[in-house]
Amino acid sequence: MHSPELFLKDVSGFLGGYYAAIAIANAIAALILWQKKNQPGWALVWTVFAGVMMVLCGLALTGSPSLVPALPAAVRAAVNALSGPVIYTLGTTALLVILFVFRKFFVQPMVAWTILNVSLLAMGLSMADANFASIVMKPDNVPIVGLVFLLAFFTWVATKQAVVNDERIARGEPPMEKLDDEKVLVWPDLVYTELICMVAVSAFLLAWAILLQAPLEEPASSVKTPNPSKAPWYFLGLQEMLVYFDPWYAGVVLPSLVIFGLMAIPYLDYNKKGNGYYSIAERKFGYLTFQFGFLELWITLIILGTFLRGPNWNFFGPFEYWSPYKVEVLNNVDLPQMFWVNLLDRPLPRPPQGAGALTQVGYILLREAPGLLIMGAYLVLLPPLLAVTIFRGFFKKMGFIRYMVMMNLMLLMLTLPLKMILRWTVNLKYIISIPEFSLNF
Amino acid sequence: MAERKKMSVAEILAAARAEKAGGGAKPTPAEESAVSDSPEAAESPAAADSGAPKPAAPKPAGAKPAAKPAAGAAAGGRPSVKDILAMARKNQPAGEAAAVSAEKPAAAPKPAAPKPAAAAKPAASKPAAAKPFTSLDTASILASARAAAKPGPVSKSDASISPRPEKPRSAPEKKAAAAAPKMPMPKMPAKPQPAKKAAVEGEDRRGFLEIALGSFMAVGFTALSVTGGLFTLGLARFLFPNVLAEPPSRFKVGFKDGFPSGKVETKFVAQYGVWVVNSEVQGQQQIYALKTVCTHLGCTPNWLEAEQKFKCPCHGSGFYKDGVNFEGPAPRPLERYAIKVADDGQLEVDKSRTFQEELGQWADPSSFVTV
Repeated sequence: MHSPELFLKDVSGFLGGYYAAIAIANAIAALILWQKKNQPGWALVWTVFAGVMMVLCGLALTGSPSLVPALPAAVRAAVNALSGPVIYTLGTTALLVILFVFRKFFVQPMVAWTILNVSLLAMGLSMADANFASIVMKPDNVPIVGLVFLLAFFTWVATKQAVVNDERIARGEPPMEKLDDEKVLVWPDLVYTELICMVAVSAFLLAWAILLQAPLEEPASSVKTPNPSKAPWYFLGLQEMLVYFDPWYAGVVLPSLVIFGLMAIPYLDYNKKGNGYYSIAERKFGYLTFQFGFLELWITLIILGTFLRGPNWNFFGPFEYWSPYKVEVLNNVDLPQMFWVNLLDRPLPRPPQGAGALTQVGYILLREAPGLLIMGAYLVLLPPLLAVTIFRGFFKKMGFIRYMVMMNLMLLMLTLPLKMILRWTVNLKYIISIPEFSLNF
Repeated sequence: MAERKKMSVAEILAAARAEKAGGGAKPTPAEESAVSDSPEAAESPAAADSGAPKPAAPKPAGAKPAAKPAAGAAAGGRPSVKDILAMARKNQPAGEAAAVSAEKPAAAPKPAAPKPAAAAKPAASKPAAAKPFTSLDTASILASARAAAKPGPVSKSDASISPRPEKPRSAPEKKAAAAAPKMPMPKMPAKPQPAKKAAVEGEDRRGFLEIALGSFMAVGFTALSVTGGLFTLGLARFLFPNVLAEPPSRFKVGFKDGFPSGKVETKFVAQYGVWVVNSEVQGQQQIYALKTVCTHLGCTPNWLEAEQKFKCPCHGSGFYKDGVNFEGPAPRPLERYAIKVADDGQLEVDKSRTFQEELGQWADPSSFVTV
């Protein structure tokens, strides 16, 4: 860590270019809106915004601590104080719910452009913070920042198509994709596009390889683990899952279930609609289930693991210094402990000294009885219960086997958020805890 | 050859027709087309000869193949096997001849009988049998002509049961075998000859190693297996290196008084992967060696002196000074290594034995040393 002045000198050049790029993009957008889209009001707004960005560019290029645009220290402190795993997860969930419910509003191009500009501006202002910049500009993490924006863009495009199609279908018109099903030739239409993409991506990768250093670390040692020790970015969701589960479940069972569940979708899906065109209204259950699993249980966990998990896998606010000595009270206990000791005020059932193997197993089962009963009820009783209540229609259409497969996949997927909530609220470590056989759940 | 013959026969027939036309005889058009269309009838001069007088003496043997070609014309004018069989059934003498002619040994003498000859020919012209039959005849005729041994044509079966193997080897006989390569049986015994030749030629420098080791293949494989064996032995040598970088599983960490109460000694982590701790466990002051492997997923935790806990950087598991897990996902306490006071009074850690709390092994006296 060097002084803030030196840091700002380092980062000012980048920030100047960053603001200038935003300004140019907005100027182009204003021009297009003025000339082609005939929206002079918006064109004026973005012209003004581009001007402000140019001013920020000039300020950033000075590199002086008083002039480089940055978030006020109070705001940063408030953000740090507020952020935590619970707030983060609830916040992202709420954000996704809002985006989904008001999707008709958010798919308007001008709204999306505004959100993009605001988030880019927030990024730029945050980048003047040394702690934030050191995480975001790490060569490891730069692609993830880009991927977050890319993912947001593609999700927005798909949602926009779906909203348009839903409106058309509601009016009794065919979806957009059906209007434009003209045949396109592989040669030259597709091959040319691919060629141009290939050249562009190669140039981009070359520039990237030259500009950003490879994130290499010190030689590996079996007795020295880097702190924090992070998986490749695409496995950070998995690493975050491992915080809440035993390795065999979060590292083996859940990933396999993700793969098998995705493979099972075509066999479980009885909804014939939405084939070949985007639509949300016609397949709400499928859409919500997938987006919950993908955006909520995978992407937000990757972002959390990348930017907000620091040394000792502690949670750090976006502007917080990653101190390896941060103390966080995370004490947690197993369910048997809660049940026998805390609730019944009795010691855990322990087999007497020198008991036979069967007696020991019996005592273990007795000790884990509450957890086993809860899990049994969750996986065995809940599906039929849901079949006669909420998912009655599903059960009728899918039949017993398909319904049970789908229900079990869904319930196992939901174990992750449920376990997270239990960990945060009641400090529950494991529902079933049999360390004797390395079997914990 | 057959085509050339056919041409000549056609000419002959044309000439015969011209003669007949001149003689006032009337050939039926069906017969005309049959004769010109079917090569079988024209295949041998004998058939042509017998065909020429046919109009004068209409025999069933000659007429039957002529009646069929309407069906056989598509397949090159040859009557099919079915046709021949049907014909043979209708015409007993011709059928007999056909059946007999299918048996090869009997086929040769038949041409002497003029009547069934026409019927025998189409039977012999079955795709598989006809060509070798005729060509063999020519070859054997040539062979016998050269050898001047047999006057008449030799059939295939004659050749196969010919007394050649019994005969003493003679130059003309060998030549005959070479001239008629389609006789497989008598050719076989000739094969060992080159080997004999090589054995005779083998008395040169190359022969030495062969005599010594059998053959060049044996030399090659012997060399290969010797090399492979030496290579394997060389590889096995790597299992016993001169210098073993790995620390021994039993090592001494110093005297008891080097570990004051409440201290977690971390200086052995880098080399041995062990914390030596002096702490109070269940009312007893103990020195024990904790394995530096997190029980969650195997990372190496760090000892945080200020917080008095072991903290894993991978998923945030935390352990108390006594190794008991209390935060994060680690499901069980850290494991202990065996520790004892050696003969010289130093503490000796044995990494080959571990003790797990959840199995009740921490009560084992080898898992700690009382202070």
